[in-house]
Amino acid sequence: MAMFITKRLLMALATVLVVAVLAFLLVHAMPGSPGAVSLGAGASQDAIDQLNQTLGWNDPLLVQFFRWLGDAAQGNFGNSLIDGRSITTDLANRLPVTASLAAGATILSAVFGIVLGVTAAVRGGLLDQLIGGFVGLLVALPAFWIGVIFVYLFAVQSSVFPATGYVPFDVSPQDWAMSLALPVITLAVGGAAFIARQTRASMLEALQQEHIRTLRATATPTWKILYVHALRYASLPIVAGIALQFIGLFGGSVIAEQLFAMPGLGQAVQTSVSTHDAPAVQGVVVIATVVVVAVNLVLELATKFLDPKLRAS
Amino acid sequence: MIPTLPATTLSTQRKSALTKLSGHRLLASPAGLAGTVWLAAMIIASLTAPWWMPFKTEDQDFTAVLSGPTAAHWLGTDELGRDILSRIFASAAETLGTSFITVMVGVGLGTLMALAAANSQRAEGVISRVTEIMMSLPGTVIILAVIGAVGTNIPLIMGILGVLISAGIYRVMLGQAKSLQNQLYVDAAKVDGLNPLAISVRHVLPGLSTTIVVQSALIFAVGLLIQAGLAFIGFGPPLPQPSWGGMIQSASQHVYDAPWLMVPTGVVLALTVLSANAIGNALGKAPNATASHLPSAAIRRKRATQAAAAAAAAPIVQNPPVAGQLSVRGLSVGVDGGTPLVTDVSFDVEPGTVLGLVGESGCGKTMTALSLMGLLPSGVAVTGGQILWNGKNLAAATDKDMEAVRGRDIALISQEPMRALDPMFTVGYQLTSAIRRLRSFGRAAARAEALDLLEKVGIVDAPRILKTYPHQISGGMAQRVAIALALSGKPRLLVADEPTTALDVTVQAEILSLLRSLVKDTGMSVVMVTHDLGVVADICDQVAVMYAGQVVENGATDSILDDPRHPYTLALLAADPHANSAHDMPERLATIKGQVPQPKDWPSGCRFAARCQFAGSACEVPVPLLPSGSGEGRVRCVKADELAMEGLAWVATDVPVVNPVPAEVPARHRLDIIEKDMA
Amino acid sequence: MSIETPLRQDAGTTVQHQPMLQVQDLVVRYGRGRKAATAQPAVDGVSFTIQRGETVGLVGESGSGKSTIGKAILGLQKASGGTVAFQGEDITEANPSKRRAIGSELRAVFQDPNSSLNPRKTIGASLAESLRVRGVPAPEARTKAEDMLERVGLPREAVDRYPSQFSGGQRQRISVARALICEPKLVVCDEAVSALDLSTQAQVLNLLADLRDELGLSYLFIAHDISVVQFLAQRVVVLYRGQVMESGPAAAVTENPKHPFTQALVAASPVPRPAEQAERRAVRESLGVRTAAAVAATPGGCPFRQRCPLATELCATERPVLRRVGEADVACHYA
Repeated sequence: MAMFITKRLLMALATVLVVAVLAFLLVHAMPGSPGAVSLGAGASQDAIDQLNQTLGWNDPLLVQFFRWLGDAAQGNFGNSLIDGRSITTDLANRLPVTASLAAGATILSAVFGIVLGVTAAVRGGLLDQLIGGFVGLLVALPAFWIGVIFVYLFAVQSSVFPATGYVPFDVSPQDWAMSLALPVITLAVGGAAFIARQTRASMLEALQQEHIRTLRATATPTWKILYVHALRYASLPIVAGIALQFIGLFGGSVIAEQLFAMPGLGQAVQTSVSTHDAPAVQGVVVIATVVVVAVNLVLELATKFLDPKLRAS
Repeated sequence: MIPTLPATTLSTQRKSALTKLSGHRLLASPAGLAGTVWLAAMIIASLTAPWWMPFKTEDQDFTAVLSGPTAAHWLGTDELGRDILSRIFASAAETLGTSFITVMVGVGLGTLMALAAANSQRAEGVISRVTEIMMSLPGTVIILAVIGAVGTNIPLIMGILGVLISAGIYRVMLGQAKSLQNQLYVDAAKVDGLNPLAISVRHVLPGLSTTIVVQSALIFAVGLLIQAGLAFIGFGPPLPQPSWGGMIQSASQHVYDAPWLMVPTGVVLALTVLSANAIGNALGKAPNATASHLPSAAIRRKRATQAAAAAAAAPIVQNPPVAGQLSVRGLSVGVDGGTPLVTDVSFDVEPGTVLGLVGESGCGKTMTALSLMGLLPSGVAVTGGQILWNGKNLAAATDKDMEAVRGRDIALISQEPMRALDPMFTVGYQLTSAIRRLRSFGRAAARAEALDLLEKVGIVDAPRILKTYPHQISGGMAQRVAIALALSGKPRLLVADEPTTALDVTVQAEILSLLRSLVKDTGMSVVMVTHDLGVVADICDQVAVMYAGQVVENGATDSILDDPRHPYTLALLAADPHANSAHDMPERLATIKGQVPQPKDWPSGCRFAARCQFAGSACEVPVPLLPSGSGEGRVRCVKADELAMEGLAWVATDVPVVNPVPAEVPARHRLDIIEKDMA
Repeated sequence: MSIETPLRQDAGTTVQHQPMLQVQDLVVRYGRGRKAATAQPAVDGVSFTIQRGETVGLVGESGSGKSTIGKAILGLQKASGGTVAFQGEDITEANPSKRRAIGSELRAVFQDPNSSLNPRKTIGASLAESLRVRGVPAPEARTKAEDMLERVGLPREAVDRYPSQFSGGQRQRISVARALICEPKLVVCDEAVSALDLSTQAQVLNLLADLRDELGLSYLFIAHDISVVQFLAQRVVVLYRGQVMESGPAAAVTENPKHPFTQALVAASPVPRPAEQAERRAVRESLGVRTAAAVAATPGGCPFRQRCPLATELCATERPVLRRVGEADVACHYA
């Protein structure tokens, strides 16, 4: 087990490194030198060249990379080219927003997805078809469209929830929850549909296993067969599906953040990409990767723990 | 081998469907058909849009800004008075086309990686590592960073999206590619000296074709959504070119004053995504998945109603009920919707005896056995007759009624002990929870009983085995555990479905000895399903030989095996190499021409006649079970007495059967041919 | 002929005097790395010879390595040690082009009729593939395929049909046709009839016997069922955990087995005659062979010793070599 964890940690580290290299190269392929970006359109070539020199833009690529990597490893992602603020501080403020969004949406979609999927698989018949059709529709609806509709229904028409904005938890937990409600539900709709499909398929597969017949042959009550044995068997692919969902939602929050004006990582990517703010892009890519890889690692360990075959080996 | 019969019938249907174009499956599903129509209409409409669009995309109609649908603007106008309909279709071609780039790159790369990984373990190691990294990347963030570097070059962005997605496609394809690569026909091709590339292209890739199409449809939908999402947050094609995401973005700005604007583009996008998904789902639907072992609530309710009706209709004829005696009377089992699998099967099992149900696969043995416990797979049901046990007719019992019988009165052991045990729970949990449930024991008492049972079935280190998971023990050991589990409710009848077929012969002998001693010690009776006449000789007191869903001969084991009366029994014994030792091994074994007919091909007359050496015109009418000369046995053959009198044996046909009648020809035609042959 | 005598022909020996197949000290280990190197190999020093026109049966239980040996001969599994010589030529490490060269003479029939034919190709395409690989033109390959189908008792029209349109027994006959279409000298039959029902099993066994007599083929017939093997084989090799326990003429090995494992194997194989089966059962119970369930595989010594009623200290320390006992070669210190 220790061996497994070590291996996975190394793998996670490798992933982050690969992404760091990618991010660095991508950012260097961005149009415009940092000097030009920082000083804006009116600046003289001399001023740009001088700033570039100060920022180390003219050093060899490898030197620049290791300088950046060394700083990043210590948690320093440099300063924004646009307004000079510390990128690390900025991201530290933004991370909780995106994390609450993604975690909230993942939990919500897991709960609804599993309930819908299990119901469809277990009840069968007309209910299964109805759920199937509903889920199929949800999968096809784009999150940003649903979000706008929610805003229209719950913020414009009935003002149950605030339409936009984010209230930090330490300011007011209640407002925090209210401000998260619409974006979380928006993101969770597609996620729940995805997990419902995964759950239904896994449950049906579990019920096709021969040991289900053995359980029936020993008079195991139906609820126990379904919710203890079959669900346990189906749990592996379901958990894997939830992990994938979190990764998707973490990135997918860009849209929700834009739509609901949430100051999260997604918004940071969007603005820094639009303004060619190279260090900010690098920072956010690396931070997003670290979070996703870490969550992935945890879920992988969970999967490993769920499967007796893996646990034993 | 559980639902042997329906499985074969269903698989023939599936195979023949497979050989046809997979398009047929698409057209068979209403959703898939609708999706195809919509997508086709979208493609045609978008490609021809320049010729029929009522307005140019940039035409501004300031008399109708933010209007709803009107005669001039069917889908309304946006904030600049531009015609929505025209803008939707003007941007459709590019949206659909660039999404297809994602499909090509993603599915193409994913398939190539899967083929390479299936081909060599080393490649699999490398590719799996790389894809694991790719899968744990925050894809959207990466795509945005790429946009930062290369700008909003949509085709390039969609291509890179394809690369990111290919890791997921690879995951989906790998298992299938590997299983195709492990097919014996790939081994045969290797023996032929085909190189790995040729094997991948000729034998593995074609098998992936359905998955490729399904994944393409699903990825197409993903591409559409992501592309629209990017345009929504401002990374769409350069303005003023319209895009679906961009149009929804500008509509969202007017959700307060013109909510209608959200509808047209949103609906078109959603319908297009829905269509692609529907096509994927229709094509990817497993045509006939393995039957569930626990029918859904809807089906169980229907069954209960049927059972109640059956019980009301048929009074119980057994009198007086004998404790521990099983009487099956005229039992029929069939697929829902008609095809019979077992017809008019009757037998009795006395306490403390072993009855063998013997025959080839497809003869209905397993279906008969499972019906005794009410555990027929979903889609198969008892269609007539009675199963009498302790004065109750189990054939008309509901699932609820059966719960009182299962495990306590009648227990089951099956062919694949590994698959019969739940892989997610320890042996100890499975055993003790059954004991607690069936015998109302406490936790400690149940554990003591579990240890006791394991020792009874010949396991020496019972405490260790209790802690193991099924995958940690051998097949023989697992079968012992399964037997212990079956004994946990102290049943009086054990239904054993080919309990030793999957085991080595030395282990088989041990398990048979165990069963024999259990019968002797506990006085329980056994219904033993087997295809092995040697197993019958070893353990059975009574035998019922089954052929094509009927009992063709029954009686005491000694008389059936030593003095068989039915031509099928004669033939089976003559075809069995175990019946001969090395010194008297014949040059050729006796054979039965053709094969067991499919249930839909059963003739109205003798079902064996088409393959019988002795068949004549008398065999064309239904044959009842008649008393056979020896003892209390019965035989379903009009010529049995004649054959016995003349001492005829099933002869080895010395010439190999040339041009046997192919499987497709209905059995009745075969009968004609055989009669011609005999003439 | 004898197992013990290794290949000792002079370099000048003509091809005609070469045995059809000579397997010498074959070792196969699964997996890679240090773990695999120390584990008990799947095949552990197996040697045997098949002469021209001879059928050798390879018998053993699951995990005995019998199918692995077949795979190693066919090049489907890499050998970790030892040699496989086909008509005197070492083919242990043959590459695909070499395989293609010998592939017409050394062929295979596999166990599962459902997976041994590609469901997406017509029977004709499957049969013709091996001819087409060797450059036979399509029309000629088709005619040959039709001839071969007729030979195994199927209609010529079958060339245009798909495997799903045939029953298991028919498909296995098609597999036989595919193996025989390029006039092989040796056919490896790996559990070729195990998945078939009694009556169809007999059809295929008869067919194999007929074709052998007619074409002078050699077979390596791999099966777990000793009675099936004794129908077809002149000689039988009995394997246990990757090692040869006993080998010799089929009648001697099956009627009068010398090795305790062979004795247990023969006694455990049930016969469909109740009185005789009762006797066999008594014999089996008197043998005193211990159950396979409680035994862990430990390397070194005799692999059967933990189940063996005759086992002593010697069996744990010294692996018995094959020696002649009566008509057979037996790997037992006490046989």
